Amino acid sequence: MQQVTAQQPASGYAQDFQARRKDRMVEPVWLIERRQAAMDAFAAKGFPTRKDEAWRNLDLTPVRGNHFEALHIAGSADQQVEAIKSVVPGAIRIVYVDGQFSEGSSDLQGLPAGVTVQPLLPALERHDALLEAHLARLSGEREHPFASLNTALFFDGVLIHAGRGAVLERPIVVAHVASAEATGRAVYPRTLIVAEEGAELRVAEFHLGGEGAYLSCPVTEIDVAANASVHHHKIQQEGADAYHFGVIAARLGRDARLRGHSHAFGAKSARTDLYVDLTEPGGEAALDGLYITAEGQYSDHHTYVRHLAEHCNSHQRFKGVLTAKSEAVFDGLVLVAKGAQKTDARQENRNLLLSKRALAHSNPRLEIHADDVKCSHGSSVGELDKDALIYLRSRGIGPQDAQGLLTYAFIGEVLEPITIEPLRQYVRAAALARLPGDATVKEMA
Amino acid sequence: MTALLEIKNLHATVDGKEILKGIDLVIQPGEVHAIMGPNGSGKSTLSKVLSGHEGYEVTEGEILFRGKDLLALEPEDRAREGVFLGFQYPVEIPGVSNTYFLKAAVNAIRKYRGQPELDAMEFLKLIKERMKLVKMEDKLLSRPVNEGFSGGEKKRNEIFQMAVLEPTLAILDEIDSGLDIDALRIVSDGVNSLRSPERGFLLITHYQRLLEYIVPDRVHVLVRGKFVKSGGKELAQELERSGYALFEDAAA
Repeated sequence: MQQVTAQQPASGYAQDFQARRKDRMVEPVWLIERRQAAMDAFAAKGFPTRKDEAWRNLDLTPVRGNHFEALHIAGSADQQVEAIKSVVPGAIRIVYVDGQFSEGSSDLQGLPAGVTVQPLLPALERHDALLEAHLARLSGEREHPFASLNTALFFDGVLIHAGRGAVLERPIVVAHVASAEATGRAVYPRTLIVAEEGAELRVAEFHLGGEGAYLSCPVTEIDVAANASVHHHKIQQEGADAYHFGVIAARLGRDARLRGHSHAFGAKSARTDLYVDLTEPGGEAALDGLYITAEGQYSDHHTYVRHLAEHCNSHQRFKGVLTAKSEAVFDGLVLVAKGAQKTDARQENRNLLLSKRALAHSNPRLEIHADDVKCSHGSSVGELDKDALIYLRSRGIGPQDAQGLLTYAFIGEVLEPITIEPLRQYVRAAALARLPGDATVKEMA
Repeated sequence: MTALLEIKNLHATVDGKEILKGIDLVIQPGEVHAIMGPNGSGKSTLSKVLSGHEGYEVTEGEILFRGKDLLALEPEDRAREGVFLGFQYPVEIPGVSNTYFLKAAVNAIRKYRGQPELDAMEFLKLIKERMKLVKMEDKLLSRPVNEGFSGGEKKRNEIFQMAVLEPTLAILDEIDSGLDIDALRIVSDGVNSLRSPERGFLLITHYQRLLEYIVPDRVHVLVRGKFVKSGGKELAQELERSGYALFEDAAA
């Protein structure tokens, strides 16, 4: 990475954009325009600072002070790619290393009729109308600096499309892996998920990386049409020195269902912004989140759920476990638009501090412009129940195990709803590996 | 013979205030002792000190369990050495099922004693057998520990845990409080069925009624942090007739 002057934090990224001018020439006009608009939006404001309300807790100095140049040549990350293959047996798998499609590691065999899982680039070459209708549409509406960077600079990505009524039993694993070559560089993972009317999809999106400081700015767009259902799981396990600033933007049609899970374990500093629009009656969004922070980590979730039509439900439940000297943020806005009557919106954020040096910010917000709605929010930041600890210890369970048992009980609620059983096991193991306690606790189902 | 429990000149303070002012007690294997006393006499402080709760400071004296310094042991090690403490207010633990909790406890204790851990089948057999002792319903096993249990169910759960963990010394703190007569019978039957020549019990109670069902070998009356009288089971009946007032006068 190159040091840059504070006055021109964005200039390096403008250079990245310039450098890719030729590559863009083969792209469809609509995409060229969207990329340009995104670059302009980013250039106009640059990176946010702590003066920006939505970014006040995040120290972006390391990102502002350096230029993480876009990486377009994939390095090798064999170990992690190999590991991801066995996580969900029988899954359809599409693997990207440093933003590049890794055909050899992917398994796209046996897709049923009506379901497409493929890299974006070939789809672009075919000027697919589908992409024009959806790509950079949901994320483009929001002026999110890192989403803008992604739209301007993403090299390739994955398209997942389920046509009308297509129901895919097999889960889809999307893996975005950063290799050692990504050190000091930036990767822009891109995922587009479209479920047409009545379609059903389950996607597990992994973000993995090795050692080294790199910047990952993933964008995932999810369009759930009428009566369709999407389960989306994000499993963020970036390398310990990585920066991960991502966006998930979803739009739900009439009677559409979205089940979103965001599991944030890795990176030095990570933030995921979830935008969910309930645009027609009957939509239902359930968002679960789990973050576990270790020494020196910062983990952030911002959610923006907009009820734009009546009779929609949204249930958010985010749980955090903070250890050592670490920091986490949950900031959630539920907006109920005028006329969005019979809205049922619930928002819950619970934080468990396992250390005196950990700091959790919890900021649930409601903005209601309709009068016949049911909205609730709850938030808490606390330590383990001392009485429960002494009770467990008085039965012979050691302090580490007692802590682990209670902590596991605390997070169990957000693991349960994961319907892909091997994935649930994987996330559970990943969570347990980051919690105190020994084998006694870890064998709990 | 080494006593099961020996409390010598125990003084303890809470927030700097002396609550226990010199307690002496010896329990031999096979004996059941009862400590009775009015509210504020120091009963709960004694049980908290025995369990290793934070915030209770022993300023003088010692407690020996089979000759070992009990106060030097961490709460979990007291349990592993064979001491069971039945809580006056059993704690609700959402998200942890009764079964997992007990299995973790049983195996932690076995590990400490150098015994092999029980596998799922052996464990299930053990708890099924012990459930009968306290007429525990199956459904309570899969429920989170004490969560949503009635007062009687919580106390029964304590006795059930005791039956599974098979302690050498059981200290039961107000195991009878808030129980109706049926529940009290079940709890008492459970305790009585676990009486053995090797095992000792210390019952801490406010009410004499418990001692009609669990007949003690010795009764001690605790008033203002000291034993004002000790005697046989007839002392409980004397208390029933005269109340604590008589003893409170004696202590003043």
